[in-house]
Amino acid sequence: MMSTLLEGDEKLERELVPEPIAAPAMGSIALHIALAGFLVLYGLLGGLFHHSIWGDSGQGGAIQVNLVSSALPLPSDQPPNQNVLATETPSQAPAEATPKAKQAVDENALAISGKQVKPKQQTAPKTQQHQPQTQNNRAQYGEQASNSMPRVLQQSGSSGPATINVGDFGSRFGWYVDEINRKMVTSWYKAEVDPRTPKGARVYLTFTIHRDGSPSDVTIDRASGSTTLDRSCQRGVQRVDSFGPLPSAYNSSTLKVSYYCEY
Amino acid sequence: MHIGALTSVRSNLRSAPGRIAHRMKAFSRFLALSVLVPLTFSARQLPAQDWVHTGTNLGAARLRVAAADFKPVGSDPQAPALKAVFDATLYSDLGNAGIFDLVSKSLSPQSMPGSPQEILLSQWADAPANAAMVAFGALSADNGRLVVYGWLDDTRNTAAPQVLGKQYNEVASQDSARTVAHRFADEIIYRLGGGINGIAETKIYFVSSRTGSKEIWVMDYDGQNQHQVTHLGSITLSPRISPDNTRLAFATMGSAGWSVRMYSLELGRTVSFPAGTAGGSNLSPAWSADGTKIAFSSGRTGDSEIWVSDVNGGNLHKLTSFRGPDVAPTWNPRTNAQLAWVSGRTGLPQIYIMDQDGANVQRMTDGGYAISPSWSPSGQFLTFSWNRKYGPGAPGGQDIYVMDIASKNWLQLTHESGSNDFPSWSPDTRHIVFERTIGGHTQIWSMLSDGTQQQQLTHTGNNFMPNWSWK
Repeated sequence: MMSTLLEGDEKLERELVPEPIAAPAMGSIALHIALAGFLVLYGLLGGLFHHSIWGDSGQGGAIQVNLVSSALPLPSDQPPNQNVLATETPSQAPAEATPKAKQAVDENALAISGKQVKPKQQTAPKTQQHQPQTQNNRAQYGEQASNSMPRVLQQSGSSGPATINVGDFGSRFGWYVDEINRKMVTSWYKAEVDPRTPKGARVYLTFTIHRDGSPSDVTIDRASGSTTLDRSCQRGVQRVDSFGPLPSAYNSSTLKVSYYCEY
Repeated sequence: MHIGALTSVRSNLRSAPGRIAHRMKAFSRFLALSVLVPLTFSARQLPAQDWVHTGTNLGAARLRVAAADFKPVGSDPQAPALKAVFDATLYSDLGNAGIFDLVSKSLSPQSMPGSPQEILLSQWADAPANAAMVAFGALSADNGRLVVYGWLDDTRNTAAPQVLGKQYNEVASQDSARTVAHRFADEIIYRLGGGINGIAETKIYFVSSRTGSKEIWVMDYDGQNQHQVTHLGSITLSPRISPDNTRLAFATMGSAGWSVRMYSLELGRTVSFPAGTAGGSNLSPAWSADGTKIAFSSGRTGDSEIWVSDVNGGNLHKLTSFRGPDVAPTWNPRTNAQLAWVSGRTGLPQIYIMDQDGANVQRMTDGGYAISPSWSPSGQFLTFSWNRKYGPGAPGGQDIYVMDIASKNWLQLTHESGSNDFPSWSPDTRHIVFERTIGGHTQIWSMLSDGTQQQQLTHTGNNFMPNWSWK
């Protein structure tokens, strides 16, 4: 009896002997407190510095577009290109359909006499259901290649005439005529012209440049037949504040200019 | 060969039918005729008004311009040093203009023509210089006066080459040599740049901490001539120079928190601006282009909103009333009738524009983190700092962008070089100054408004928040 009691005691004692768990337990508790503290701090600080200042993230606001445009007053070295690879926003246009391969016809095969050739069932072409085009109200918006930002274009060729009707302005101040051309290339916005306008259509304008370089009296001398071209060219001149002051060696107070825009 | 000259001959022939037989078909004949033209015209009375005919597709390439070294006249010992400053400044001004294809010094002829009689135009017109225009002149320093004669000649027009002739007379010093070069360069840019004034004489105001506290400093547009403006001993931010270059509005930390204050450059001290000191943080002032009004952000109602007052502090009123912060206003300097600003009403800060009465609000950016707008003097563009892919772990960087306001098309100007912020337009719309932070060092940089020709302007200490003067 005693022995069994002793045995039990021993067992109990053995069980009561503390295993070395105190240190890991304390470590674990400390770690959890630290984690909880960090979470609370993060929530506090994050809410303080991010959300309460700028609110929730999300889309909103309306986009409205007025059509006016002009250019950075810097010459561009390259003409704009429509290469979609030049921008990060890919084109919405679908890929071109590949032409279907024609069924091969064995030309050496002889027709079996008497065999009725079944006429191929001509399936009536399905009339395409009218799909109402969803109007795209989104503003044209996105990154563009640097050379398609509206700005001065460098155009090749020099086919246009810089002609003097009266006087010798053109020969004495050729640099000023060049300046008119440079300035007009900046301010004439070809995108305003209806794309159905035939290439090579020209509108001739006349306008007066005053001593301070400001243009006035912009009139259409010979219309091109495309009102959009006429108007865009006229607007191009009106958009110019100053072509630069007239040359100081030029005696008159105004200069009459005839200018054409060629689409 | 000159188109203008060519066609003038044509029209002249039309008016003189007797010479129609000479209708030119070959270039050699044309050359002979071009000599005749001035003769026929000298015989005729000049009409009151000339006509010129011109059109598209005539090219808008950069004009090729050469800057000759100026000829030193006299034997004053100061002259060589002044000449060196003058030549270097003129050359860098023309290069910075952004509209010229400047002939490199190594390609230009070694001659130093001092007057229109001494210059041999063919030397400059031919390869390797191929210049269409050449700037040249003479410089002398006598009795403490710096006298500069400058000319600009059209090299293709041997009959009447002179485009510009200028004379300057200043006290002989390095600073005035630089000033004279700036003025002559501006004159050339004004003549050949389509009537847009050059920016060589403009200033850039900025915040610098090089003395220990953040004070306002000023420098020339090319980073030369830096000096301190304010000595407040506090933290001073967002300097904005008035359109007439007499006053500086800025935000500063005082006993009552952030307030907008005004510094008179003429008096050399701060002057009263009572509207900017009421409770709450008052930050980021902006001048209207006529110099009569100031817009700024104020938190006096508890939420940061845009407020506008007269320059003397009167007529104070609130423009925005939206939940969420509204900060960093900037006026449309062209119309003076619109403002752009940063609003956080939908979450992250975005650029918005509105009329000056608070109507017609439009959102300009579609996402990301967009701050610090500046409206171009031409009225057509905004420049701002934008992190398009903002968020934890997102790949975006803080870069400078330009947006065409009408089409909302934008162009990224800086790419993968530091963190860029606080862009500010130059008065000619061709340049932008901004701050760039690389590795903890913040400096002022400038570039052309298409992102090219980036150059660092400051090198000492840390420098922030540049603002380009209006003229």
